[in-house]
Amino acid sequence: MAAVNLRRSDAFKKNLPRFFQYLVLIIVVLVVLVPIVVLIFGALKTRGEMYSRPYTIPIPPHWENFRAILGQSTFWTMLRNSLIVMLASTAGVLVICSLAAFVFARMQFKGKDLAFNFLTLGLMFPITVAIMPEYLVIRQMHLTNTLLAVILIQTAFGLSGNILILRGFFLSIPVELQDAASIDGCSAFDFFWRILLPLARPALSAVAALTMIVSWNDLLTPLVFIDRETLWTLPLGTMQFQGQYGTDLNMVAAFVTLSALPTVIFYLFAERQIVAGLTAGALKG
Amino acid sequence: MNIAQVSRDDLKLPRRNRSPRRVQDYVTITLFLLPAFILFLVFLVYPIFRSVYYSTFNWNGLGPAVNFVGLDNFKQILSDNIFMTAVGNCLLIVLFSLTLQLPLSLALAIMVGRDLPGRAFFRAIFFMPYVLSEVITAIIWLGLFNPDPERGLINAILVLIPGVQAQGFLGDTKVVLLCVFVVLTWKYFGLHMLLYLAGLQNIPREIEEAALIDGANQWQMIRHITIPLLGSTIRTTIYLSVLGSLTQFNLIWIMTKGGPVNASESMATYMYRFGFIRFWLGYGSAVALVMLLICLVFSIGYLRLVRQPDYLGGI
Amino acid sequence: MLRKLLVLVSLVLIASFVLTACAAPAPTAAPATQAPAPATQAPAKPVVPVLVPTNTSLPPVKIVWWHISTADAHKALFQQFADQYTAIHPNVTIEITVLENEAFKSKLTTVMQGGQPPDIFQSWGGGVMNEYAKAGLLRDITPELDANSGAWRNTFAAGALGVYGYKGKNYGVPWDMGMIGWWYNKALFTKAGIANPPATWTELLADVTALKKAGITPIALGEGDKWPGMHMWAYLVTRLGGEANFEGALLRTGSFTDKPFIDAGKMLNDLIALHPFQAGFLGATYGDEATAMGNGKAAMELMGQWAPSVEQANSTDKKGIGANLGFFPFPAVEGGAGAISDAIGGGNGFAVGKNAPDAAVDFVKFMTSAANQAALAKIGVAIPVVKGGEVGLTDPLMILVQKNFAAGKYFQLYYDQALPPAMGSVINDATQGIFAGKLTPEQACQAIEDSAKQNLK
Repeated sequence: MAAVNLRRSDAFKKNLPRFFQYLVLIIVVLVVLVPIVVLIFGALKTRGEMYSRPYTIPIPPHWENFRAILGQSTFWTMLRNSLIVMLASTAGVLVICSLAAFVFARMQFKGKDLAFNFLTLGLMFPITVAIMPEYLVIRQMHLTNTLLAVILIQTAFGLSGNILILRGFFLSIPVELQDAASIDGCSAFDFFWRILLPLARPALSAVAALTMIVSWNDLLTPLVFIDRETLWTLPLGTMQFQGQYGTDLNMVAAFVTLSALPTVIFYLFAERQIVAGLTAGALKG
Repeated sequence: MNIAQVSRDDLKLPRRNRSPRRVQDYVTITLFLLPAFILFLVFLVYPIFRSVYYSTFNWNGLGPAVNFVGLDNFKQILSDNIFMTAVGNCLLIVLFSLTLQLPLSLALAIMVGRDLPGRAFFRAIFFMPYVLSEVITAIIWLGLFNPDPERGLINAILVLIPGVQAQGFLGDTKVVLLCVFVVLTWKYFGLHMLLYLAGLQNIPREIEEAALIDGANQWQMIRHITIPLLGSTIRTTIYLSVLGSLTQFNLIWIMTKGGPVNASESMATYMYRFGFIRFWLGYGSAVALVMLLICLVFSIGYLRLVRQPDYLGGI
Repeated sequence: MLRKLLVLVSLVLIASFVLTACAAPAPTAAPATQAPAPATQAPAKPVVPVLVPTNTSLPPVKIVWWHISTADAHKALFQQFADQYTAIHPNVTIEITVLENEAFKSKLTTVMQGGQPPDIFQSWGGGVMNEYAKAGLLRDITPELDANSGAWRNTFAAGALGVYGYKGKNYGVPWDMGMIGWWYNKALFTKAGIANPPATWTELLADVTALKKAGITPIALGEGDKWPGMHMWAYLVTRLGGEANFEGALLRTGSFTDKPFIDAGKMLNDLIALHPFQAGFLGATYGDEATAMGNGKAAMELMGQWAPSVEQANSTDKKGIGANLGFFPFPAVEGGAGAISDAIGGGNGFAVGKNAPDAAVDFVKFMTSAANQAALAKIGVAIPVVKGGEVGLTDPLMILVQKNFAAGKYFQLYYDQALPPAMGSVINDATQGIFAGKLTPEQACQAIEDSAKQNLK
């Protein structure tokens, strides 16, 4: 590996663009953060303030908005429900998609390509359209007003994309490994369970992370299938601050900030995993 | 542990009797695929079929569908000016995304690059909008675009510039689509940037260093090495961006409902307005199918077009 | 590398698709023309009464009730009604679901399409309710209304009750009805040198000019939501053509391209030419309109009976413009066939689902008693429609509205509610086109007429 020696003028040339780079990046950071900061400001205002002067700094900050929300037992119930749905759909997606992706990546059978293309169909059918027939199906299964209905639908709509991702990742695991395993008498399932999955952890984390974000933010499915307030998830909770003609925008902002916190915190921790999952397919040599 | 480091002894495989592999395999395949297929058939295929069925009716959604009209709905869709406007708007968004949003994400990715101190911080911040739901994003930006300088941050800043007046933004039919696009960019650029970053990680350092030794400057390196080697990533983000633009609903609906006067109508808002709000479900189902077909045509065509050997794969 | 491509493809696809596909249309502050509810906090849990075994124990009955009154006081009052009723009838359980307006509409549409309506639910009557009635999804409660020589029926104001009828049968009853009129800022009028609110359309235009001269925004309009401006056109039609004109178009003996409809558009253009609205009005929401009024930034708005409470709620100090707020009915149009007492308005009511048990109808009857109506009026969320209920009205403005409403002979439900939903949507879009200068009155009316041909049979 050759070392590149920088002469002094080169060093200067390197620093000026670098300064410029940081400038641009800081500007972008501002553009990204300002709307979010405005949201948080809104959470600390009264309703009238929010409508009339939405972006000024709240003075004094009205922490009682947060206190009011956190003090309601309904918030925690909704948090719990969102958690249940999110964990269940993510688990469902991980299990079902890795099983299916494994087959498409590593096994041969007639009609494999057709089956795979068929499964990607789900990527192009928005749920806004599908919601009515979904309702009929759920009703036939007597699952209305259950969290299970929401879980099933979220899982089903997460199938196509995630199978695609995992298949891609499984494909990148060397065939030699599987050959070696089968020579040693390992069945397909054993290979899958003992070798493939542990190696695929980064990709599985990435899939899990994205599924969790989507499930957490899903509004339409719980709205349509759940009546009972005890089963509401967080996105439905913003409704309680909205009336026919008026919206407590400040309370909505506070509520949204609180419900986005878990996702943000989770994301900050999982970010490394996501990026690792994306780059883990890197095989050198 | 790294795949390359795994050796045979590490695997500690059990010794088994060799049962007929074929049968075992087919059993495995069926079992593994069963859950996915069941869910898929019940919750995805069935609704599509129902939609196909309903699209041939003039039906308000209540009670049984009785007014069979065959392909009339489709004929009406294709002759409706508003639908054509919607398609045009979707294509415009695709165009903006490909020429503005993706290059911006790429530029940012290159800038954040591999060596920049603090890149983890930038990465985290830039991805943040993606984590927020589209609903919240739309509500935040609705506030920012408010035409009253006392209530809309953007206008508040604009009127500080002498001679500049407050803009109508979401109320101005000439710029509303652009405003929508700005919000879409804000939300999704982080994702594309992340993907490019990942792709950048995979460009071997040896190539870059070789180029530097050969006397290439920054621009030349970007043009001749970085971008070509990012080819597959770029193709991916294009695929994603186009399909996302074609089916965009939530952000547009909440911010403008497709207005004013259809200036920001997308195919999906059109479908929702005509299908659900006007109680015209047969027609709405037909629109959904047209959207599905357009996406399919693009998808198949595009994947066929880009099935080329990648540079990096050849190394 | 191909593998990496697939990894990336999948990651990207799943992200975009699941995010675009799975998130959904959300409730916002953009409702159709309805009655009020300043919103606040958490939903209360429905109270399930303990069944008291009695000698004459009746079989347990469950009533499913969906309403949209998310405002604290209102929601609590409705809960109280339910609790009172179940105390008297221990075998009855009332399961209440409180939803926000837009969310309610999405959800109701879905379950209606699935054929399973709730037993009692929020309804604005008119076209949407008629669709449900036509599809056999509602329970005909005419027998209960007419029982005992119409005992229950006669308690209602006839015009209001008619809103919940279809082809001679009733499928619901109102609990609130009001009208749209001009709400104006007296102080700003004085500042512009206007002594009295306008009585004719010409005077209104003159006042607008005077306000502009004084540097005041004459009219606040949230045309981004479409329906606020639609009411302006609708009122002009009503003043020009009167009841006969609209009836004719509705019953297909006339047409929506008849002279009064088109002339209304032309007169509207006269107003628009004066640039009376706030900047960016084409993208503004009703919430923006109310805020402008509440903060004293505009001189008037054409709005329904909920206007004062929303203005207050949206204003910076939560007080609105206080005593400076006045009300005047839509001015007369010289030479028009309509009377100045004709009113456009609407309100709220209970619709009854097809599977509702008798107890549900009885509970609705309970809620529309004079005493309960007065209770609703007292907390300022309703203008009662039942005789004796108006004693609860204390707000002078509301009393004024109620008097105006009661005086009218011709009461018209908002166009986008009275007509089938498909048409309502077309009317909203068409009138917005006039405001945007994109459609001529003739084009707008033709679009409405085309829609009428399809939907009114």
